[in-house]
Parts: sequence; structure tokens; C-alpha cells
Amino acid sequence: MRRSLRSVRGPPSAPPVESLAPLGWFDAAWYNPIMITFKNVTKEYPPKTHALAGVSFRIEAGEFVSITGQSGSGKSTVAKLIFAEEKPTSGHIHIGDWDISNIRHSDIPILRRQIGVVFQDFKLLPKKTAFENVAFALEVAGESSKRIRDVVPHVLKIVGLGEKGGRYPRQLSGGEQQRVSIARALVHRPKIIVADEPTGNLDAITAREIIELFTRINDFGTTIVLVTHDRDIVNGLHRRVITLREGKVASDAEKGKYLLA
Amino acid sequence: MRSFFRIIRFALQSMMRNFWLSFVTVSVFVLTLITINSVIILNVLANASVKSVEGRVQVTVYFTSDSSEDTVKSVQGYLLGLSQVKEVSYVTAEEALANFKLNHQNDPVILAALDEVDGNPLGQALKIRAYNASDFPFILEALETPEYKPFIKEKNYDNYESALKVLSDFSEKVRLGFLILALFFGFIAILIVFNTIRVAIYVHREEIGIMKLVGANDWFVRGPFLLESIFYALIATAIMAAIIASTLSFANPYIVAFFQGVDVDLVAYYTTNAAPLFGAQFGILAFLGLGTTAFAMRRYLRV
Repeated sequence: MRRSLRSVRGPPSAPPVESLAPLGWFDAAWYNPIMITFKNVTKEYPPKTHALAGVSFRIEAGEFVSITGQSGSGKSTVAKLIFAEEKPTSGHIHIGDWDISNIRHSDIPILRRQIGVVFQDFKLLPKKTAFENVAFALEVAGESSKRIRDVVPHVLKIVGLGEKGGRYPRQLSGGEQQRVSIARALVHRPKIIVADEPTGNLDAITAREIIELFTRINDFGTTIVLVTHDRDIVNGLHRRVITLREGKVASDAEKGKYLLA
Repeated sequence: MRSFFRIIRFALQSMMRNFWLSFVTVSVFVLTLITINSVIILNVLANASVKSVEGRVQVTVYFTSDSSEDTVKSVQGYLLGLSQVKEVSYVTAEEALANFKLNHQNDPVILAALDEVDGNPLGQALKIRAYNASDFPFILEALETPEYKPFIKEKNYDNYESALKVLSDFSEKVRLGFLILALFFGFIAILIVFNTIRVAIYVHREEIGIMKLVGANDWFVRGPFLLESIFYALIATAIMAAIIASTLSFANPYIVAFFQGVDVDLVAYYTTNAAPLFGAQFGILAFLGLGTTAFAMRRYLRV
């Protein structure tokens, strides 16, 4: 699962790949073979919407898993359950050894500091610069200012925005904004990155670049859960695909393809 | 500690970067304080006016012409012993006559009647001033003792009674009126501050959600907004103090001239009461701001 930096070869157009080692990646302390477990998870929204009905799967550390399905299949609910924006109606969800099915409100920030989240609409703080947006994820965790000054520019370089840290989100393109959001998800060395339709607002070329960034991050050992309905992206990845249909797992295949309904 | 300084930095940063929202919020706070201070100033002026009129009211007690000066002086001493009495001045029979003539100089009938009478029909008199006009009934009642009653020819109690009653009723009503006015404007102020902050928090609702999704705990999200509302209150109070200082230093001479003889030095009033007055205004704004912020944020923190 652990790969050296030399094994990563991005396409010529991709931004230069920076080493993740200074961030302290690959700490043995957070290496756990099973990263995410869904056991018979059901999620209902009152009065009678079944977003998920008895979903079970396991994702191992270092995997790159695409969760696909049509609109309303429940794939975004899976993402929301992983970072505890929602709680399951029944069943159990484990992140590592931690059962988060009934996580306390006060423990949610602790969970989220260990999971990087990337959204379709970027969810950047509009009145903060790219640097400050990335730094924010460390500031909430109480990291020292010195470490923030060291790490944030490095992570911005990793996502190819080394020179644009001082810009506000409105001064960046969609692709650049998504890179900031990925930098923010990366910066606290998460075990897992959950990306909910990260390419939904991007053109095809930019989308491919973002997915390449995810595969590179995955190459360094971070587990990636990519929620998407983009068939080309899923088929181009040649990684594990979990397909949901009407809230149930329709298929779960290593090196899978996007299934037509 | 590190988080605390970050929260302060975020609060200041947010105020600067959301300049127009901050500007509007502070403006509304200042307008609220202007309303409150207008009520305070009107109340001070009304109280001073009522007090001044009360202070000018005096009751004259006329003694029979056969009363000795010693008797009158002993009544004067007795009255001065009462805590409600501010001042008792002795008037001789001659002075009383001169005053009477002066007061009725435009009334030829009375002056002619006075000429018909031999000698001075008026006796000695005592002019009484009280601290509060409402105390006169008590003071005059005190003169009803058997020891002094036979020497007292007339108290102009009856003539003043209705005027005094009207005046003391009026001053009570003025105070009550201003209390109601203050409560009314206070209520409006609360609504305005409440709604302004709710709008400000509503504008920030997405950011609050984002902060939570990135792993900020509730206090880290709430802190800067709570601090901001305290800063707004502080700035608004400072601006209000500056407005009061500049307006009053300009207007005070005119106000003093307008209320001739009435002790209405608003500058002195604000200077002596600056700490409690502005402290209370800041306190109320800050309390309202904190309460509303906490209340308005609750639903957006549930992410």
C-alpha cells in the first residue's frame, strides 16, 4: 500500500508533484487495515423516504473507492454518514475502530479533523484567502502558528496553487477553488478523504486534473471515497466501484465499471 | 489560549472584511442608542423643570397683628426643624404691606380699599419653601398645633393647594410618561438589535456550516460571532459618547439659556454619570447582541 514518490508519474500537464513526507504522512499510529465499515446501514428521512436500506461494505486503508449511482440512489447519503453530517437510522458505521453510529455532537469535530471532505460546491469561506481557508482546518484543531506557516504553503504547492495563496475564492477559477478545497482536506493529514461529486461543477479537462490529484494523494496511502455519477471518470479510474440503486448496494466490484441502470 | 487569540483575530478580520454588514449593524446600534439617549435627555430636562417650578413655590403664613416678633421667630425655628422645609424667611409687617401693594399695583380697587383702612392691616409673615412641593400639606398641617394656631391669621394653603396638587401630579405623570416612553423605545431597540443580528448571522449561515464541516467545534465557530457583537456594542457606545459630547458642548449654552434659571447642565450630568450611563448602554447592547447571536446561531450549528 505504501508507495514511494518515485512511482508517481503524472501527465505532462499536471502541476509539479510535491513530496507529502514533510507533512508526516504514513504515521504508523493511524495505519489501520480496515478504514470504513458499513454494517446493515439504513437511513430514513421522515416521513417515508428510504435513502439507504441495509447497506453493508468495508473499505480498507489505502483503497480508492468510487461510489456511484443515479440521483436519489443514496450515494451522497453515504458520504454524509461517513463525516457525520447525518446519523444512520439503524445499523453501524465504523471509522477505524470508532463506532460513529451514535456519535456525540461534541465528538463530531474530532472525527472531522481526521477526515478530509471535498464538495461539489467547494464550500470555501468566501472572506478568507486560499491560504487562510487551508490554514483554517489546522487552526480549528489548535495547531501552532509556526506549523501552519510551514505546512500550508507546502500543501498549496501539492495542489498546484503555490503562487495563489493570497487570492480570495472569487478570484480563482472553479478548478482552482476545488484545488484549494482539496488542499484544505489534505492539510491535517487525514486518514480518509471523502469527495462528494468533486467534479460536478467543473469542465471535463479540469475534472480529469482533479481526479488525477486524488489518485496521486491515494498513491501516498490516503483512503479515497469518491462519490460521483460521472461515468467517464469512474470508467477511467480502473478502481473499486460500489454501485447503489434505490438505497441498496447493486454491485461492488474491484476494478469496476459504471453500471448502466 | 491559542484558540482564544485566533477567535479574536477571526472576529476582527470578519468585521473588516464584511465592512458593509458591520457598518449597518453599528449604525443600527447607534440609532438605537440615540433613541435611548433622547429619552434620557428629555427625562433630565423634564425633571429639572418640574424641580425648578417646585422650588419656586412658596407658602406664606400671615400672623395676627398682635403676635409678637418672638412668637413668629419661634414658629420660624420650629419650621426649620422640619426636615421637609428648605427655607423660612421672616417678613415684617411693613415689608408685607409693601409686597402686597407691589403685587396689586394694577388693581386700583384693592389699593383704594387698603387706603380706607387705618394703619397696616397686615401682620408679620413667614415665607416657607420646601424641598418638594408635595410636602406642603404636611408642613401646613404641622402649624395646626394649639401652641401656634391662635397667632396664625391666614395660610395661603387653600390658594396653593390645587396648584400644588396639579404640579405634583404633573411631575408624577411626567416621570411615568417617560418611563413608558423609555420602555417602549427600549422594546423597539431590542427588536431592532435582535433582527439586525439575526440578519447578520443569516448572511453567515453557510460559512458556519463550512466551519463545522472542516472540524471546528461549536465554540470555535460561535466565538468570533459573539465577540463581534461585543465589538459592535463597544464601537456603537463609543460613537454615541462622541455624538453626545460634541452635540452637548455645542448645544448646552442654548439649552441653559432656554431653561433660564433652571439647573439643567446636561454636560455636567453626562460627565458625572458617564460611567454608569454608557456602561449600562454598552452592557445592554452587548447582552442583547450576545443573546441574539447565540440564539440565531443555534440552528446553523447543527451541521
